[in-house]
Amino acid sequence: MTGSLLGACADPAVPKGRTLVSLWFSYGGKNREVLESLVQRFNRGQTRDFVQAVYQGDYFEGLAKLRTAIAARCAPVLSHVVGEVVPYLAEAAVLEPLEDYPGLRELDLIPELGQERTWSGGGARPLCALPFNRSTPIAYLNGQLFARAGLAAPRDWQELRAVAKALSERKAGGRFGFGCPINWWFWVALVGQAGGSIVAENGRISLGDEAGVQALELWQGLVRDGLLKPPPGRDYNAWEQCNQDFLSGRAAMIWSSTAFLKYLEEHARFPVIAAPLPAGSKRAVPTGGTFWVVLRAADSARKAAAARFLRFMHEPEQVIEWSTRTGYIPVTRAAVRALEQRGYYTAHPNDRVALEQLAVAQPWPWSVDLFRIQREIVQPRLESAVIAQGNARQTLTEARALALEPT
Amino acid sequence: MKPSRASDPYWMLLPTLLLLLVFFVFPLALLVKHSFFSWDLLTPARFVGVENYRSLLRSGELWQTFRTTLSMSSAVVFGSMMAGLGLALLLDRPGRWAAFVRSAVFSAYVVSWVSVGLLFLWLLDADSGVLAGVFRFFAHGRAPRWLSDPALAPWAVAAVTIWKITGYALVLFLAGLQDVPQSILEAAELDGASPAQRLASITWPLLRPTTLFVATTSLISSFQLFDVVRVMTQGGPVRSTTVFVYAIYEQLFLDLRVGRASAEAVAFFGILLLLTGAQFWLFRSREGA
Repeated sequence: MTGSLLGACADPAVPKGRTLVSLWFSYGGKNREVLESLVQRFNRGQTRDFVQAVYQGDYFEGLAKLRTAIAARCAPVLSHVVGEVVPYLAEAAVLEPLEDYPGLRELDLIPELGQERTWSGGGARPLCALPFNRSTPIAYLNGQLFARAGLAAPRDWQELRAVAKALSERKAGGRFGFGCPINWWFWVALVGQAGGSIVAENGRISLGDEAGVQALELWQGLVRDGLLKPPPGRDYNAWEQCNQDFLSGRAAMIWSSTAFLKYLEEHARFPVIAAPLPAGSKRAVPTGGTFWVVLRAADSARKAAAARFLRFMHEPEQVIEWSTRTGYIPVTRAAVRALEQRGYYTAHPNDRVALEQLAVAQPWPWSVDLFRIQREIVQPRLESAVIAQGNARQTLTEARALALEPT
Repeated sequence: MKPSRASDPYWMLLPTLLLLLVFFVFPLALLVKHSFFSWDLLTPARFVGVENYRSLLRSGELWQTFRTTLSMSSAVVFGSMMAGLGLALLLDRPGRWAAFVRSAVFSAYVVSWVSVGLLFLWLLDADSGVLAGVFRFFAHGRAPRWLSDPALAPWAVAAVTIWKITGYALVLFLAGLQDVPQSILEAAELDGASPAQRLASITWPLLRPTTLFVATTSLISSFQLFDVVRVMTQGGPVRSTTVFVYAIYEQLFLDLRVGRASAEAVAFFGILLLLTGAQFWLFRSREGA
């Protein structure tokens, strides 16, 4: 971490006369490759600015480094952070308001993916976050196993259970019908499907109340009956493990982010079918992924250069390349229109699933405590309730009490 | 030896004292100070008195972390000592085969913790790991979920640690065995003592200082367990492998709770201080005996 911080503070070799924009990013593998190619395209396409992209670990490691760097007055000019942390960073006044930079107000964003509708009342606040890699959770099905069993993607919770049961094999070296990281994001999806929300309309942190309990109990039942494999590890280690379970045929169906669409399609030795998440009492998904943020502490010339880079990244050509090579949702309407015209979605129906799910996307509350509630209060208790089969109601009552405690 | 000037020893000690002040005393004082504040590095720090300590105690987190650390450490100390001693007794003989096995066992000690963690992550995979294959072959069923079952994960991580540090205990016990006088062992053999009797009545008592040293050093290194936890379990499942150093890392770098992380570090420092005190007491009582 120290190395990264020092690296950001030092003035690295930049082509003469260009304004340096340091960019901290959190992608590995294919997504990193795509981002770096876009950064290179920007650097080659003009002679005014130079973006230097530096990998900083996964989202949470990257965020920890970013916050430490802000405190050490050594932050990069540009970074991208998960949606849950944007209200906290905005209220801490470390983010640069972006509306006055030329062109950033007029990006033709898909409202559900921009600040406007990602958060309740987000449109009324100063613009401080622009969508980059945006996603929703989707289901991935092993086409071969589903075809052999004559099954279709589950449309509701009952079908989810039935399909998971039909595709589970309990013999040695067998298979789980369903795999899903025990992660807050999927629980929020289930809470929404059960008709609840994390924060009630009056601002009370409800953690879904009864819907939260129902969501947990569904998970608990699936694990107890040996139909759902909770992958080992935490955070993105568990996500990666879940992907590997799917690719190796140890899980017939998984829930994961649309971010892994291209990765799974390219590496699976069977047809991968993407499907929307099933409904509980209704259909609902949270949105995920990250937003571009410009750090307020940077000097004005570099912030202006960062804004020019953001404008470049939101041009249809870049949005389309990022989206079609990774699986993330295209964030501008112009990019979606261009893809429709080219017949891309007809040729790649899996790519349409997350886009269409935006119709049932639930906004996040604009709450400075959201990230704390996620990381410290809910996530550890989800593990305890699902894996150790603790009492769901008691777990959430305890979590609600903790969420209300002053920090 | 008498110094030519009374101030000479102090000048000579000054560089070390300065280093200690800058890199140990000052950070420690800062740590204690931060433990009385609530601070996320971004918004101004707020004085909260002993609330961080109270919160750690009230949530049961301190006790749980202590219990996890202590139980994993006990397993590591006991396991590595027994394995090290057993191997030393077997390998304390001349010959190329014994030398090869000694080197092989010790080689694990010089491999990096991260590599060991990654290697065992693969070996212990409950579905496709080597151990799962062995289990399936003999037991004809699903292998236990070593790393995703909260009841098994701490012991799996402890076993990996034992595998890694046993080479160190082996070398120390081998050195200790060289100091056991052959004449006494031969005399006992002539008197008709069996190998087990010679081990219990001669070798083991004479190995006591080595045992104490191995126990103390492996206890300290097992209390500092971090890399293998970070790579293999990230403290889970259900915090079952959240040892002290990992808990502090999590509070500080993932949750950015500087105050609570500092309070936890101070508590950890206190526990290590007590352990070091116990170690001194044990050594002194041995010397006095």
